[in-house]
Amino acid sequence: MRERVLVAMSGGVDSSVAAALLVQQGYDVVGATMKLFCYGDEVPDKPCCSLDSINDARRVCEGLGVPHYVLNLETRFGEDVVDNFVNEYAAGRTPIPCVRCNTFTKFRDLLRKADAIDAQYIATGHYARMVDGSLHRGLDPNKDQTYFLWGIDRAVLSRMILPVGSSTKAETREIARSLGLQVVADKVESQDICFVPDGDHTKIIRQRLGADTPALARGPILLADGSVVGEHEGYARYTIGQRRGLPGGFRDPMYVVAIQPETRAVVIGPREALLGSGVIVQEVNWLSEPLTVGARVSVRVRHRSPLAAAEVVRCGDGEVEFALDEPVAAITPGQSLVMYDGEKVLGGGFIARAAGVRSGLPVLAA
Amino acid sequence: MPAPIYLDHAATTPVRAEVLDAMLPFFGPRFGNPSSVHRWGREARAALDEARERVARCLGASADEICFTSGGTEGDNLAVLGSWRAVRDARNVVVTTPIEHKAVLAAVHQAAKEGAVERLVNVDAHGRVVPEHYDATVSDQVACVSVMWINNEVGVMQDVPALAELAKSRGALFHTDAVQAFGKVHIDLKSLPVDYLTISGHKIGAPKGIGAMFIRRGTPLEPLMHGGSQDRGRRPGTENVAMTVGFARAAELCLAEHATECARLSAMRDTLETALLERIPDAVVHARGVPRAPHIVNISVPGTDSESMLMALDLQGVACSAGSACQSGSITPSHVLVAMGVRPDIATSAIRMSLGSLNTEDDVRRVSELFPALIAKARRLSGAM
Repeated sequence: MRERVLVAMSGGVDSSVAAALLVQQGYDVVGATMKLFCYGDEVPDKPCCSLDSINDARRVCEGLGVPHYVLNLETRFGEDVVDNFVNEYAAGRTPIPCVRCNTFTKFRDLLRKADAIDAQYIATGHYARMVDGSLHRGLDPNKDQTYFLWGIDRAVLSRMILPVGSSTKAETREIARSLGLQVVADKVESQDICFVPDGDHTKIIRQRLGADTPALARGPILLADGSVVGEHEGYARYTIGQRRGLPGGFRDPMYVVAIQPETRAVVIGPREALLGSGVIVQEVNWLSEPLTVGARVSVRVRHRSPLAAAEVVRCGDGEVEFALDEPVAAITPGQSLVMYDGEKVLGGGFIARAAGVRSGLPVLAA
Repeated sequence: MPAPIYLDHAATTPVRAEVLDAMLPFFGPRFGNPSSVHRWGREARAALDEARERVARCLGASADEICFTSGGTEGDNLAVLGSWRAVRDARNVVVTTPIEHKAVLAAVHQAAKEGAVERLVNVDAHGRVVPEHYDATVSDQVACVSVMWINNEVGVMQDVPALAELAKSRGALFHTDAVQAFGKVHIDLKSLPVDYLTISGHKIGAPKGIGAMFIRRGTPLEPLMHGGSQDRGRRPGTENVAMTVGFARAAELCLAEHATECARLSAMRDTLETALLERIPDAVVHARGVPRAPHIVNISVPGTDSESMLMALDLQGVACSAGSACQSGSITPSHVLVAMGVRPDIATSAIRMSLGSLNTEDDVRRVSELFPALIAKARRLSGAM
């Protein structure tokens, strides 16, 4: 009997090719598109419930001769991902919803649907690879998506198939064309967060927290010494390292170096003030044996940022502290830190704060 | 895999061979426009008029009281909006129930947007209209009342003659959505005091895209569309002759088989229900014990979810449905079960099986085995989490 695999299909080229490759490889493929949110009437050009994407996925499955289902995970996604997203902004952090979607929605809630239909495996169109039961980076360095996958329950790894992780995006598009998946082969890749279709995340913050939320209220822009140099229209519009929306007239380019929700202050400083020589992460998840103090790893602290050499200097209470060999810019609370041994993903966590900030930098008493 | 089993006749039915045969000439040599003066036109017109008469006869109505529509949704909209718009200056309240098809509910909401006062009548735990609340709600300010005869999700049957009687006594117009009821209950519009009645073709072996509406002679109705004088201006546009002919044939066949088919379906329904309740003692069959349709079983099993069950059933070749699917095809808890006050965990585990022409006793036997087995597995999984 052929092994059944539930393929999470977004209607895009990557997951469509993933499904097609698995059909070729002889799996009993079942396609599923998750309905995660509803734009409502606010975005006129995007039909409700990601309808076009769902229709594309359904057409691909019809073409492949496999069943396709739409799964309504809206309630759980709203709680696990969207609520967290707005709460993180309100807490002065910069959230990374794709991590939580992978952790909770795709590789937990969707996996339960796989259980319900006797599917041993779950597949996605992520650019990452399973090698000997471990998660590895995708071969295309520009497309590698392991930065978003570190939070998955380790026990799930043995049930994951990532069919496109060994391809480049161009190759995936080529495969799509050669397999006759014209519907999706040339689709433009979306860079947006799926539930923030127009790139303006303040809308959903306003929607969920109310128009009078402090996160979107006027507040001061400060220098490290506390002097006020301007005003902003809501600290949730800022992230560490940002330059846009800051006052001018300084000798050096200025960056956001801290966000203080208690006072609604956005603190700015020169580039040196962005550098951190250590980082503390929380909600740590291990995809291999947990590291101990003294272990050497490479870490990535922002999507597409270069890898940095680091050493574990403290473990405990669900937190891990790293010392960085070289200072790294814009270590941002709420973003992920992912640990690698070569190509292999060891685990990750959410950044709590930069640590061991070099002297002369603003250690602000909030 | 053994032959698939179609248990979704309340969603749609296959076009019957006799119906297809009856339609074919009108896709071929008898293609004329019924409004044309020449022989092609006359030929088409004759067929259309005859189809109208035949449908009228099936309902105990006169031919001029039958308006062909595109189906249930159009009929529901035309009845609700058309009646309210026609009398709104004198009476402005629109009354319906919370368990109607979305075509009625959305039409009533639209009327409310345009200035009507919307009133919903409570239903009890079985989905039956609460008579006292109905009595209190249908005041002399009510323009129209719309109550579905047989609910498409749970199969509950309303006492439409009595409800219509009361509405008439208060001077309100009365519409019933009889899309699921046609062929399942006896309908004689000579004695039934309704003003409008909606039926649909694809639930009875005719194609999708054809339906009919009964509009009692002399009853006001504002058309939804404007154009030519077809159908007395109530429904302008060149008539779909082939489909009206097919619909008439399907309606006649349906009525001819009414007694035997209802007996066959309710026997299968009872066998299925008994077997399922025996094997899943804590399962809940909705609307059981009140007058209901012979072909619908709506069953909930605590600890399972509709979405997973529908997938598992489909992968085993059994086609059922749950709640009402939104445009994307994803499942949301049924507004009908919610209105009946059903517990959330029961509402989200509901599965509707609707029997019909394609089903045999062997199907019932197989589903009686398969469904409890899948339920047991789903519960093992949910228990393990």
